Amino acid sequence: MAAEEEEAAAPPQKRFYRQRAHSNPLADHTLSYPSRPQDMDWAALFPSFFPPDAAPGTAPARVEFVDVGCGYGGLLVALAERFPQTLAVGLELRGKVAAFTRARIRALRAARPGAYGNVACVRANAMKHLPHFFRRAQLSKLFLLFPDPHFKRTKHKWRIVSPAMLAEYGYVLRPGGLVYTVTDVPELHQWMLRHFGEHPLFEALPPAQLAAEPLLPLLPSVTEEGQRARRAGRAPNSAVFRRRPDPPAAAP
Amino acid sequence: DESLFVYDCSSAEKQPLGEKGQDGKGTDKGSDDILAFAFSPSGDYFALTDDNKRLILFRTKPSWECVSVRFVNRRCTSLVITAAEDKIFVADKSGDVYSYSITEPQADGKLELGHVSLLLDVALSADDRYILTADRDEKIRVSLTKAPYSIVSYCMGHREFVSKILVIPNCPDLLLSASGDSTLRLWEYKSGEEVHCCQLSTICGPQATKPDQKFTVSRITYCCQGGYVAILCDSIPTVYIFQLDATARQLVYKEQISLKHKGWDIAFEEMGDLWILQEDKEAPLLLYRACDGQWKAVTDDKGLQKMSKYIQDNWTVFEGFVGAESYYSHLYKASFDNMDEYLQRKEERLQQQKKKKQDLQHASSGQAKKKMKAEEPSL
Repeated sequence: MAAEEEEAAAPPQKRFYRQRAHSNPLADHTLSYPSRPQDMDWAALFPSFFPPDAAPGTAPARVEFVDVGCGYGGLLVALAERFPQTLAVGLELRGKVAAFTRARIRALRAARPGAYGNVACVRANAMKHLPHFFRRAQLSKLFLLFPDPHFKRTKHKWRIVSPAMLAEYGYVLRPGGLVYTVTDVPELHQWMLRHFGEHPLFEALPPAQLAAEPLLPLLPSVTEEGQRARRAGRAPNSAVFRRRPDPPAAAP
Repeated sequence: DESLFVYDCSSAEKQPLGEKGQDGKGTDKGSDDILAFAFSPSGDYFALTDDNKRLILFRTKPSWECVSVRFVNRRCTSLVITAAEDKIFVADKSGDVYSYSITEPQADGKLELGHVSLLLDVALSADDRYILTADRDEKIRVSLTKAPYSIVSYCMGHREFVSKILVIPNCPDLLLSASGDSTLRLWEYKSGEEVHCCQLSTICGPQATKPDQKFTVSRITYCCQGGYVAILCDSIPTVYIFQLDATARQLVYKEQISLKHKGWDIAFEEMGDLWILQEDKEAPLLLYRACDGQWKAVTDDKGLQKMSKYIQDNWTVFEGFVGAESYYSHLYKASFDNMDEYLQRKEERLQQQKKKKQDLQHASSGQAKKKMKAEEPSL
């Protein structure tokens, strides 16, 4: 895409990327995703971490942080500044929003060469494609910031937190890995607390560790959604859950 | 016991009216069509689910009898009975697997695991340790039966829905799968590693009726004696036979049996005889036997004659399925999207902007043009 590359120098303008706030995660969108994790071309997303002159035998860099529903990329930008050596990918189902975030990261990389090389955004459906992108126990942090609340009971199966999805998060996260959730919808917060609390692979982070968690105070305000909630006076609720060790005989 | 056991689902207990399903909707009226069935590994039990959302359990010894009629939440697509014969695992259209006790034949089902996609098949390893589920997306999930929230692996590689899965009984680490992508694949399922992929279109291609013919496997049967695999493809009147090379971990194509009618089902007997049920009242059953590496039709078999007569005498049961539509064609992804269109428009906009910029640069050198621009009325 020639013009998209040339656009790199200028930050993207929101007015060209307007899109509805909701997208059906159960529909068959025309998405391109790898058939298996080993088929994913991560070098195209993180070129600075895949130098062509890398010594043979060196293990290729692997994504460790995933922002599920990354929206306009506020968290990715913050992660790039705080964890510049850790690859973080944002998954966003809405095509235009994903295009905006990609343009935003391109502009940031162009403005400050050498920085922001560790973050990228992919248009993907996290509810269907996590095992297409990531191997078992590959991730150390997973972020679920301001997920779509899907208030209607019939839409609860669209929620990003459900028993079926928690099993998948448990699969891609390594034991000890963390899930961060933030929402301004109290009902959804309770829903997430309940589902993570009931799931045998997760436990709430103990209060002492929660207080020492450096990312926690940052999360409510780094994203567009969070800033909108703050302007509207809706208080964010945050939580952190830890992936527990595998039950005996689960590891292959 | 030579007598035929007949159980009429239409006379079985129906779900009380007014009782609401799990989704909160009223119960919709289903037919008495049987959607899935399975024997237990020893053959002592048999279970079926039907379109009325009933799960009916039978004991087969000393003689057939109905043990219980229970109700499931959603219409089921596949079921399997544990080797221990203590549980039935039932996979449904909303992507969930429920377990139903055999020792407590009236007990309610328990949710074991869920996919975010319709399930098409469920299987167990021979020792019951692993439960494997195949979905309408491309996934095969391997979970611990005792802790199904813990996913051991995904077998990734299929490009369409996974229609059938089978753990090879005498190679307990190997899984055979079939998909709408016209492939058969072998997996080391505990690690999720694909060890062999067999493109059915190259093997079966010459017989294809149309160039883009899909080979969607609707039935797989396996015979430990000789490691034979027989498959039936949706809407193709042919049985394809392969042999598993367990050492090389691959499937070797052997031969095919052409049918005059649509094949409905196939099953191997322990010693290698192959039964074929086809859509034809005159000859509903065929029996094939391997003779010096060649499969030949057997016609003078007493069992075949007896079973054929049973089916013909009860043809009304089968009649309704004659000419039935393909079950699989609607599972292919009908994708919708406007992303391409959007990206094209965006490209055009960027080109326009570039042009405008260039025009402006030109204009700054020519005063007249600039003046004209300034005189444009602002709206």
